Amino acid sequence: MVQQTLNSSWQGVLTKVTNWARINSPWAIHFNSGSCNGCDIQILATLTPRYDVERFGIKLQGSPRHADVLICTGPVTMQARDALLRTYEQMPEPKFVIAVGSCGLSGGVFHGCYNIVGGINELLPVDVFVPGCPPRPEGIIYGVAVLLQALKAGKRPEPIQWSGGGLDGVLHSGSGLEDHHG
Amino acid sequence: MASTIGSLGAAEAVLKPFATTITRPQPERLEVNIHPDNLLAAVRALVDESWGYLSAIVGLDRPAQLAAEGMSQPESAIDVLYLFCSGAAVVTLRITLSYSQAVIPTISGIAPTAMLYEWELREMFGVEVVGLRVTGHLILADDWPAGVYPLRKSFTGFNQPIVGAEGA
Amino acid sequence: MTADTNKFVIPIGPQHPALKEPANFEFWVDGEIVTGASVRLGYVHRGIEKGAEVRTWTQNLYLMERICGICSHVHATAYTLGVEKLAGVEVPPRANAIRQLMAELERIHSHMLWLGVAAHEGGFDTLFMYSWRDRETVMDLLEKISGNKVHYSANLLGGVKFDITPELATEVHKGLDFLEERNRFYLKVVTTDETFIGRTRDIGTMTTEKAEFLGAIGPTARASGVARDIRVDAPYLTYEQFPVKVMTHTSGDLHGRFIVRIHETFESIRVIREILDHMPQGDLTTRVPRRIPAGEAVSRVEAPRGELLYFIASNGSEKPERVKVRTPSLCNWSTVLSLAIGLKLADMPMLLSGIDPCFSCNDRSISLKRGQQGAQVWSWEKLRQYGIEYYR
Repeated sequence: MVQQTLNSSWQGVLTKVTNWARINSPWAIHFNSGSCNGCDIQILATLTPRYDVERFGIKLQGSPRHADVLICTGPVTMQARDALLRTYEQMPEPKFVIAVGSCGLSGGVFHGCYNIVGGINELLPVDVFVPGCPPRPEGIIYGVAVLLQALKAGKRPEPIQWSGGGLDGVLHSGSGLEDHHG
Repeated sequence: MASTIGSLGAAEAVLKPFATTITRPQPERLEVNIHPDNLLAAVRALVDESWGYLSAIVGLDRPAQLAAEGMSQPESAIDVLYLFCSGAAVVTLRITLSYSQAVIPTISGIAPTAMLYEWELREMFGVEVVGLRVTGHLILADDWPAGVYPLRKSFTGFNQPIVGAEGA
Repeated sequence: MTADTNKFVIPIGPQHPALKEPANFEFWVDGEIVTGASVRLGYVHRGIEKGAEVRTWTQNLYLMERICGICSHVHATAYTLGVEKLAGVEVPPRANAIRQLMAELERIHSHMLWLGVAAHEGGFDTLFMYSWRDRETVMDLLEKISGNKVHYSANLLGGVKFDITPELATEVHKGLDFLEERNRFYLKVVTTDETFIGRTRDIGTMTTEKAEFLGAIGPTARASGVARDIRVDAPYLTYEQFPVKVMTHTSGDLHGRFIVRIHETFESIRVIREILDHMPQGDLTTRVPRRIPAGEAVSRVEAPRGELLYFIASNGSEKPERVKVRTPSLCNWSTVLSLAIGLKLADMPMLLSGIDPCFSCNDRSISLKRGQQGAQVWSWEKLRQYGIEYYR
């Protein structure tokens, strides 16, 4: 989706329509950068009847050139690194990345092993991290929803702050999430 | 268990001509030390006897300890273990190769599944497998540095910064 | 494999559209027929064997588990059994029974997952959806017992972490009843649906002799009449007290592999029921020292895909000297590489699925080579669609 800048009020309308289309039907692509498959199974489970994520308009398809969102698992092995970069580069702007699973955050249990890069954010700018080993399908869908909510507001997801104690229906994460972008 | 012991006995009889030493590390296991020159004959003997199937080839890095003063420095070695299984019985053909002579013949002509195991052994340990026709890497990345064998004890990883996409 | 420069070579890129882990196959084709095949693994190579040498014996439990998300428990079990052998400890029978129960539940999960995936490869998406929905039942049971749907971490060195309470047992029985009924339906589909049979009968046939010669293992070998099953050949855990029957088939083709796996699912259901009804009493753990005595042990278990072999060497310290993992899929690759020759390109997706490849166990994309025009990049999806279209 190429963004053209029009010098008129039509630009505002165009952006709103594009955003609406993207939010209501984001096209996602899935990439396994060397994971054990645990996360991938849970991602695919979201397509199956119990979770049926397609009813939210999320479509998992095969081409990076048609994708808005890259859902990536794995600790990024040396062999997968270039393929992952190429996939990301083929995606048109604006594009977003969701890293699923502990491996995607930091390499998970493989942290320190010689053939992995580590967290996906070592290689790509990640917008949403979904922790877990593996995360539940509900968690993954939540991660996508967090991204969509941010898009609706017209911006990239921001690190969430602890509000200290109490459950008020909103997912909080530790402030360590900010440090991760270093 | 009786059939396992019997099975091991049959294997021992077949391998005796090629063995340097024979041991039973566990009740279900027979281990035979072999000189590299006898490897093909030993494998052929098992296969001709239809004794089991090749289950795995294991590399074991045994770097030499620093010798005491005045003592001669032993050479580092790599053990290559060929594990054949039949039922519960496991036969190990054990070959010790010094670093300077880390060469063995391929057994994939006799046991075809050996190809992938030998390929892995070669790139992980730097053992030259004569007659193995596959080139390139099975498991390691295409841009893996030559001469670096990850499963040797001397390898302790890379410490290089990663260059990623903008914004990472 | 030696390359014949007169043949086409088409590589299919590692980025895989759906379902599969990345890997690289190379097929040499002459027209429609495959004349040579090779494999290029490594996209899932993480350096686990090396990593095991710097982690303690206990830490490695969690590392080995994560070699594969589908056969996680069986990896941890093989590792634990090897370490316990070196330590010379006797694990209480109740712990081993629970380990076996988890292993069989995992086998049901794995087989049903494969059923869906293999069906999807052939274009039978309805079967994929049904089996994956039903598979959720097994995952629910595993979660109720262990707390996680994947990576249950049932094992401790010396025993298990949790018990099966009478309430859990009732839940498991209920789940098994449902799964048994669903699998009877799948067996009916697999044996009576004509389109399905058309795409699986006489595909990738491996004779008994060839299976023996190639050293095939697991359901692939059993579908060719080779009665090889570690649970029977070298019983471990409580497989002597609660034995399983080896399920074989004679056709040796892809169709036979479907049938063998569904029959194995029934056997797993049966043996889990037996364990629940006759669970040995007693402790859940026994003490294992932090430093494991020096020595070498070989541990073999029957993973859903075939024989899994662990070679563990200890130098008497808190960390292993060497942990070698020989996964069943690595062994099964050789059979695929040999079988592919002479088959049609359109048969490749189903053939590859037939051995139930676990890439994370081994670490896909496909390279297709045709003559001197150089490599064409095909996505797996394209190959899959190609196969479906060819048989339409």
